[in-house]
Order: sequence, then C-alpha cells, then structure tokens
Amino acid sequence: MKRHYLWKKSRGKRGAAAVLCLALCAAGLSACGSGTGSSGGNAPAAEAGGEDGQPGGSLGTGDRESVVVVMGPTSEPEAGFDPAYGWGAGEHVHEPLIQSTLTVTTADLEIGYDLATDMQVSEDGLTWTVDIRDDVKFTDGEPLTAEDVAFTYNTLRDTSSVNDFTMLEEAVAVDGDTVEFHMSRPYSIWPYTMAIVGIVPEHAYGPDYGQNPIGSGRYMLKQWDRGQQVIFEANPDYYGEAPKMKRVTVLFMEEDAAFAAVMAGQADVAYTAAAYSDQTVDGYELLAFETVDNRGFNLPAIPSGITDEDGVPLGNDFTSDVNVRRAINIGIDREEMIQNVLYGYGTAAYSVCTKMPWYNEASEVEYDPDETGRLLDEAGWIMGEDGFREKDGVRAGFTLMYSAGDSVRQALSEDTANQLRELGIDVTVEGVGWDVAYDRAQSTPMMWGWGAHTPMEFYNIYHTAPGGEYAQYSPYSNKTVDAYMDAALASSDLEQSYELWKLAQWDGETGVIQQGDIPWIWLVNIDHLYWSRTDLQIAEQKLHPHGHGWSIVNNVDQWSWE
Amino acid sequence: MKKWNRRQWMVLLMMISLFLLILVTGGGLAFEEAAGATDFSRRNLAPCVEYPFGTDFMGRDMFRRTVTGLSVSIRLGLLTAGVSAVIAFFLGLGAAVLGKGADALISGVIDLVMGIPHILLLILISVACGKGFWGVVIGISLTHWTSLARLIRGEVLQLKESNYIKIASRLGHGKLKVAFAHMTPHLLPQFITGLVLMFPHAILHEASITFLGFGLSPEEPAIGVILSESMQYLVMGRWWLALFPGLLLAGVVLLFHFLGQGLLLLLDPEQAHS
Repeated sequence: MKRHYLWKKSRGKRGAAAVLCLALCAAGLSACGSGTGSSGGNAPAAEAGGEDGQPGGSLGTGDRESVVVVMGPTSEPEAGFDPAYGWGAGEHVHEPLIQSTLTVTTADLEIGYDLATDMQVSEDGLTWTVDIRDDVKFTDGEPLTAEDVAFTYNTLRDTSSVNDFTMLEEAVAVDGDTVEFHMSRPYSIWPYTMAIVGIVPEHAYGPDYGQNPIGSGRYMLKQWDRGQQVIFEANPDYYGEAPKMKRVTVLFMEEDAAFAAVMAGQADVAYTAAAYSDQTVDGYELLAFETVDNRGFNLPAIPSGITDEDGVPLGNDFTSDVNVRRAINIGIDREEMIQNVLYGYGTAAYSVCTKMPWYNEASEVEYDPDETGRLLDEAGWIMGEDGFREKDGVRAGFTLMYSAGDSVRQALSEDTANQLRELGIDVTVEGVGWDVAYDRAQSTPMMWGWGAHTPMEFYNIYHTAPGGEYAQYSPYSNKTVDAYMDAALASSDLEQSYELWKLAQWDGETGVIQQGDIPWIWLVNIDHLYWSRTDLQIAEQKLHPHGHGWSIVNNVDQWSWE
Repeated sequence: MKKWNRRQWMVLLMMISLFLLILVTGGGLAFEEAAGATDFSRRNLAPCVEYPFGTDFMGRDMFRRTVTGLSVSIRLGLLTAGVSAVIAFFLGLGAAVLGKGADALISGVIDLVMGIPHILLLILISVACGKGFWGVVIGISLTHWTSLARLIRGEVLQLKESNYIKIASRLGHGKLKVAFAHMTPHLLPQFITGLVLMFPHAILHEASITFLGFGLSPEEPAIGVILSESMQYLVMGRWWLALFPGLLLAGVVLLFHFLGQGLLLLLDPEQAHS
C-alpha cells in the first residue's frame, strides 16, 4: 500500500510530462497483456528518482530499506544454504549471511572476531580453544552454545564434500561458551576456515536444513524460488549492529539478462563483465572492485614420458626447462593484456595471492621481451626463418587449454598466444570441458582461475600432494618450498606463519617466482564489475576472491540509499 | 531472344547455386588460417568496408569466420549426407529384397529411430562419441537415413511387382544381381534427389547441436559456435554478429534446396515433362 501511495504522489508532482510518459508506457505494455502492470509501473518512477531524487530507493519505488541484487545462475547454491554442502565454505568462499561464523576476515584480510571473543592455540598447534559470546540466539529463539559449534564442525568434518576438514580430529564443547578443536596435524590457518563456516543449530539440523536454514546471522531466509530468486529479511534479534537493509532480494540471471534487467530498471545492483563496460545506462554507474580473482596458466615442470598410477601422462618437454618458463613469465605484457581483454578493468598478477597478507612482493617482474629472447637462446631455442624458435628440429610451442564457454579465459589464452607467437613460441589455443581438463593439465598448460582468502590455496597449488610425487594440478615439486609451507602450517602464531608463506614463495635462493622454479604463470586479477544505481551506497568491499557471486553482499547490511 | 523453358531455367538456377556453394567452400578453405586470427586492436568493430561483417570481442574478422564456418558446415554436410544416404540405400534395398525377416527387422529399426525426437538422439550420439568433429559426423549420419530408407524400400517393393524384374528372376538371376543390376538404375533419381535434399537438414542440425554446445568445439569457426556466441552480444547492440552469419546460413540451406528441387525436376520422369 505504502509503495503504491508514494508512486502516485510522484506522478502528481511531475504533472503532464509524467502522465504522457505513463500513457506511452501503458500503450507499450498493453501489447504484453495483463500481469506486467505492477513491474512496468516502476519504470517512470525510476526515471523520476534519477532526476529529482524522489522517490529513488530500491527499483525507484522509494523503498530505502530494500535492495535487489543480480548474480549469475551458478551462484545459486544447488544444495541450499547448508555450510556442509558449500554455502559460504564452498569452492567460492563468502560470508554466509544467514549463519554466524566464529571469526571474520577483516578489510585487509587478517582475522577478526564474530562469535568468538578469544582464541588460543597450544604450543604444538594441535589444540585450538575458542571462547564464544553467550548472548547469541538462533532465529527460532534457542540460544547458540558451544555444543552447536562443536556439532557444526563435527558435521562438516564428516559430510563436507567441498572443503577439506581432514586436519580436524574432533570439536568438543568444554562448557557453554568454550569450544576446543583437536587437530590431527598443526594447521595455523584454522582461523581462515573458521571465517567461512556458518554455525548451524544442533536442534534444528537435518537433511532439509539447506531449504529451511536457521542461523543466528544478520539475515533470515524468507523465500527461495529455485532458479529465480532468494529473498532475505533482516534478523530482528541480531546481536550485532542492526542491518540497515531490511530486505535483500537476490536474482539469478545470465550476463545478458542481467544487463537487460538493469536497462529496464528491475535491479539495483547487477553483476556484469568487462565486455559490457563501454555501455552506459541512465541512473546507473559501473562499479569495479579489485580482487584476487586471478587467471594464470600452469607449466608442467617435468619432462614427458611418465604417467601417474591412473595412466594419466605427466609432464611437458618444452615447459620442463626452467629457462623457458622464466622466458614466458617476463615475455607477457600484462598491462596490454588488461587493456585488450579486460577493457582496463583488472590488475597485473604475479602470484596466486596478490595483496594478501602472505604475499611476497618479490614475485613481481618487469615485462622484458629482450631478456625473453636471451633466455630462450640460452636454452637452445634458436629463431628459425619462419619466425618460430626451434631446437633439434622441434618447434618451440605448446597447446594452451581453457574451459570451453568462458569467453574471458578464451580471450586471455588467445592474447597469450598472440604475445608468445611474437617471441617465436607457437601456442595453439584449445577449449576443453572440465571432465578432461584436470587430467590433461598434467601435461598441457591450462588457463585457470584461482584466488581465495586463505593461504591453503597456495599450498594446494604448489605443495607436493599428500602421498604423491608432484603437486596436485600440475607436476612440480620442491622440497624446500614444501618445508616452508609445512612449517607455516605448524606455526603456532598466525602472524609468523605469514612470513613462512612468503619464504615459500622466495627465500633468496629458491621458490616459485621468476628467479626460482616458476611452475605457474600468473597474468591478471579480474576486477569484479557491477551496475549499481547511482543513489545506492555500497559499503567498502574487501578484495573479492575467485567467484563473481556472493562476495558483493558480504556487507549488504551496511549498504544504504542516499 | 528465344524463350527458355522451365527445365532450362532450372539448369541455370542449379548452376548458379552450385557455383555459389563451391565459392563458399573454397573461400572457407582459403580463409581457414585467417578466420581464427585474433587481433585485439580491432575488436568490436561494426561492419565497415574493410570488415563487411564486423569483428567480434577478440578482433576476429567475422566475414572470414562466417565463410569458414559455412565451409566447414558444407563439407560436414556432404560427408554426413553421403554416409547417411549410403546407409539408407543399403537398408532400404535390403529390406525389400532380403525377405520377410530382414524387412521386419529393418522396418523396426527405422520406426525406432524415427520414434525418438531427432535432436535428442543426435545429442545423445554426439555426446557418447565425445562431441567434436566425429561426434557430429557420427550423430548426423546415424539419424538422417530413415526417411530415405523408407522411400527406397517402398520404391523397391513396387519394382518387385514389375514385369521386367519378375522376368529377370525367372531367368535365374540371383536376388543381389537383380537388386544391383536391375533395380539400382531405376532407383538412382530418387536416391540422388534424396541425397541432395538431405544436405540442408544435415547442415542445420550440425549448426543447431553446435549452437546448443554438444557439437564442434568452441574455438572452431563453426556457424553454430558463431551464432551461440553472438547471443550474449545482442543486448549490447552488436547485431552484426548474429545477423550476417544467420542470413548466410539460411542462404546456403536455400541454395541446397534449389539444387535438390532442380534435380528432382530433371531426373524424376514424372516431373520431367511438366
């Protein structure tokens, strides 16, 4: 009712022009039949908001406590809002909104507290003791206790299919507000895991929890129309600062539909891609958020000829030469790539963890095509008459794979190929499906996307796989690098462990950067782009991780309308 | 000037169609290398003199890409329609000549294949064969033979009742000899017409399963890839990415249709004198 009233008022104010506009609009709508009236009615109101600030607000209706956010269809959590099945703690990490977490990552991606009030780790790194607030209630009125925390972690340890909980032996509630985590091995970055695990209520957890989640977080799930939208409403009993946005609607749309929704004024915030950045929409601005959502490719660091236990071929003769890998790393002009592929919306990447507290700045290199030529000459790859380098009658080159259907990775691969071709390296680009990509990447470079708010990702990429001979995604192994990472995980002090992670990247003698083994080439961090209504204030974002989805609403409770 | 009759006009139309199709195929072969070349300095250009069909998000020349895509489609169409027609010919002939058991079996298979929605079967076979070039070839070849097989079977059943075939049998000619020496020449007009009219089907189906993502891989210059890519740029106003390739695909299909109709007119005795 309120909404309708405001809308009418605006029409009265604006006089004849608005009436005419409405008449035109109605004429246009009549062709669409019934049922579109209410949504179409927003359009003139939205225009009014753009011109004189009245009524503005969500969808131009004057509602200043709601926001409509559009995300990609893959952001919809298939198994619902259950942390055990990837909500928050999945492949793409984000704050779970509905549930509270023990810790949070701060703006500079160090650790702060949410439910926790104090946190201690034993000397041997095997016991974490966490004190929690005692004034927190779930939205069904039951108090949140240490038992719920222990239950959550033990459940995730047993059922989580998307996150690694093998380091957790058991979580035990010592008393009402203290929980102890007994680890099977030291794991200094446990607070980063605690920052993404939403605490579920033991008394209300079951197989259908994903559909009917109960938590203690800032929002409650109000409605979920599968394949279309999710509506959140603010938790009235939230223990922290009350959310300013009382209602958050998340729509799931493809990129082009999201843009169409923006043009029609049906969204307040909508994700978009760099390809759309030359467009303009009245009443909207294009926001770019820096990320660690990086793209880069692996270079198998061993020669071909062997297979793993499943018969998957490992290694690549061309990229197994460290001078070749170094030559490629400095032979790519990342700034040109950012202009070419990302329309300027990105930052150069030299590491999987750029700008994280554990990032070693020694990773950065200068673009130097002359040095590339010298390195390749030194490695025996001599420029032939056809413009490609050769050694013993073999042409320098490799196939660069990308996941089929991802146009940004395709363009990055093509640009890489163009740039390397000029240096005499013949690169062929091939689109592949994820069903074969992992196996083929063991012998063929592949364009990957990474970037997470935990050093564990660095570990997964560079550390020798447990029980294996080489790292998981691309054959590479360095005992010294492994040792630094093991020491970092075993460290009892998080701050100290950052230094060890940095040493794993480069200790002055060995590491994974240019002067070291350089088994992965990092190209760019992709800015996450959004169309946003000009009168919407989106709170400051921390560096977004990989996954152009839920991260934007991490702090939706602090957004506001002008 | 002498007035041309319908047959002569038809021959002219066929010659033009054939010429254009050969031109597209040849052009595609010549452009193969340039079609995939990316150049980011010329991305997203609207149609102009240098790039009549514009360029895409990686600066690929859409004219060359489209022609190459059509060329791939035509060659794929020739191959699959050929294989399909041969399957149809032998099964159709076999059904009619090899006796009741074989006829029941083959008719059953025809009904079975026809009973499953075309595009669904095509996708299933293509995916089972690992998609890509061979997935599409096998998929289309195995799904397009049914109606031609049925046609040939019917024709053979009719022929069997004709006197010259009966006489040949009485004279002691074996079943196979009768089939190949006496029936085949009679079947050729239907067969060739059916073969040519199968091209547009094959081409459209190749384009559609590639469009749906179950066909050729995305870095190949296939017309289905071009069209499915263009969809996401329509909303940005880049109409040229979809319009020209779409029109040209329709044009090629139309040319094959003219060819087939022409052949039908010239080869089918019943229509030849109309």
